[in-house]
Amino acid sequence: MEYKVEAHRIMSISLGKIYNSRVQRGGIKLHKNLLVSLVLRSARQVYLSDYYGGVCVRSPHAGGVEWGEGDQMDSDGSRSTPDEHGGESALVSDDSVRIPEVSVNGPAAAVEGQDIEDLAPGSDYNCQQSPQEDVGSVKTEGSGSAETGGPGSGSEHCVSRSENSQQGSAEVTATCCTRKRGAERSASAGSPVKRPKATAVPALPPVGGEGEGPEDMDTGNVSSLITIFGSSFSGLLSKEGAQPATDSEDSDSGKICCEQMLPNLNPWSTAIVAF
Amino acid sequence: MMPMKYRKVLNLSVGGGNDFQWCFSQVKGAIDEDVAEADIISTVEFNYSGELLATGDKGGRVVIFQREQESKNRPHSRGEYNVYSTFQSHEPEFDYLKSLEIEEKINKIRWLPQQNAAHFLLSTNDKTIKLWKISERDKRAEGYNLKDEDGRLRDPFRITSLRVPVLMPMDLMVEASPRRIFANAHTYHINSISVNSDHETYLSADDLRINLWHLEITDRSFNIVDIKPANMEELTEVITAAECHPHQCNVFVYSSSKGTIRLCDMRAAALCDRHTKFFEEPEDPSSRSFFSEIISSISDVKFSHSGRYMMTRDYLSVKVWDLNMENRPVETYQVHEYLRSKLCSLYENDCIFDKFECCWNGSDGAIMTGSYNNFFRMFDRNSRRDITLEASRESSKPRAMLKPRKVCTGGKRKKDEISVDSLDFNKKILHTAWHPKENVIAVAATNNLYIFQDKIN
Repeated sequence: MEYKVEAHRIMSISLGKIYNSRVQRGGIKLHKNLLVSLVLRSARQVYLSDYYGGVCVRSPHAGGVEWGEGDQMDSDGSRSTPDEHGGESALVSDDSVRIPEVSVNGPAAAVEGQDIEDLAPGSDYNCQQSPQEDVGSVKTEGSGSAETGGPGSGSEHCVSRSENSQQGSAEVTATCCTRKRGAERSASAGSPVKRPKATAVPALPPVGGEGEGPEDMDTGNVSSLITIFGSSFSGLLSKEGAQPATDSEDSDSGKICCEQMLPNLNPWSTAIVAF
Repeated sequence: MMPMKYRKVLNLSVGGGNDFQWCFSQVKGAIDEDVAEADIISTVEFNYSGELLATGDKGGRVVIFQREQESKNRPHSRGEYNVYSTFQSHEPEFDYLKSLEIEEKINKIRWLPQQNAAHFLLSTNDKTIKLWKISERDKRAEGYNLKDEDGRLRDPFRITSLRVPVLMPMDLMVEASPRRIFANAHTYHINSISVNSDHETYLSADDLRINLWHLEITDRSFNIVDIKPANMEELTEVITAAECHPHQCNVFVYSSSKGTIRLCDMRAAALCDRHTKFFEEPEDPSSRSFFSEIISSISDVKFSHSGRYMMTRDYLSVKVWDLNMENRPVETYQVHEYLRSKLCSLYENDCIFDKFECCWNGSDGAIMTGSYNNFFRMFDRNSRRDITLEASRESSKPRAMLKPRKVCTGGKRKKDEISVDSLDFNKKILHTAWHPKENVIAVAATNNLYIFQDKIN
């Protein structure tokens, strides 16, 4: 648990450093920002893995299917990393694979457990797809996945949880996908949900492993990160700050949102298939 | 001329340990507690003979000290360094295209080997390298025909006779003039320059590229290393330092943020993206942390004078590599291992990004590097002894002892030891230089330059 707190703290600090680097005299220092982004990524991975390790215990619907799905996501994720750059096209398949699972998982599972857990590896990779996505994912995950980040992300978070992995991935990857979405998400609670979902689909790595794997995982497109931060960081910081406050509301709101969002699953799957 | 207060204290104290006995010699720079950012020293370099010592600061100024000739009147006092020349090397610039300010901070100074009466050095900021000529003028021509002594032009019709101007002695004047400006070749921030052993070319390195220049030609350079990926999203490492081999003009090395060093041979290909040798020490998995990648980033690489070895500095250690063995260093020296448990705090206060330099002594028998709290460390490669010394005003008083310092890493703190938590991380020694022939060292502590000498001799 301490690791989670520590990882989250390091993530916040790292984001602050990247933000401050924009206003530093002499321009952005590529070396320093690269190192910061590496720390950010490491912290995020620990944060997510720790989160999943904690929540899976609570989920009653931890089924073989789901776990399998998660495992597959893992392998898919690792294989697909190279594809992340290509981004928005190949993920449909994975998402569609998950769709059936969404219906299987109940709200309870949706709130915290495996969805997120299954989600983690995929979303993790997805989010590393591009600098934008990396930033976005960090943003959301920092604020959304573990704890609800601010009022705007709160409902999104709930939604993602309720819809389990798919939703969660949407949550995470959606924000990853575009910085604009990130900004929008912080702005409005309800509407972003669908859009991230749709775009989340592409974020999933393609099944046919590209094989570049770890090297792409290691990327932190710094210049893009910086660009993203420049445009949409304001929302992020406030989100980060708002996280602890909304933490307590998680479980309750999550369940409520789950119930609310379950009926929306079908439209989602339609949207995904369309992509 | 930049006015500079300095105190000069001759203090024959003994530094313990080692074969060296380090004595305080001089300190240059303002004494005020309030340090102006522009006065912070950013590079220190002796020239090839050791007669001149150059410093660059964040304000873009270069100050050159010259060693006094040893006086027969005071045989025991070695030559002292006095200000020889001061000039503004770089000014702040603005890149209008990117809306970025280009800092005037001098990142590196490298001397050229002396070929005539004048001295030449290269100084660089983030984007532009300049070749400066420092020359003395101690004679002046007098008795011009067309102008008066005060410079006013004479009416040609009034001139009735001709005379030959005569060279008359004058007060020594040291002039610094920019002879070459090597600009617009680096997209990223320049971190290193290195003069080649052919004395005709030099290399400059930024985060992603290394260029080879001819000292006479400013409008073009050869790109010899380019690690910029086609897709910047795939960026995983940057170049952190580069140096030419001291004897083989076709060989150079560059270090990376991943803790690796690549040795390249320019005879192999025009673009040296494929290294000839690759030096990397396998990471110890037990010491892995969030910050493992940061602390493995190499901040400096220096060839030994012999050219057989090279030394690299990462955040916590100094490693000596044999160029003939790529899989691990032959020697590793821990500079401040007690900081390993403090990495998170050091990350928060940005200290973990400090780029420490390192240097060899003239015989390659000892190496030196800086640390925090104005400490600097010396390692004797032969005896394997190490010593920690401090550059402080307290130790620069007359008769004050320059004694070895020790950091208490745990348990009971002994007298004279300092605990890790008491270290002042704002007092960092990033830049040190060792005289090429004698045991004289220059240590930059923020805005002060300390000079220490070995008592022996």
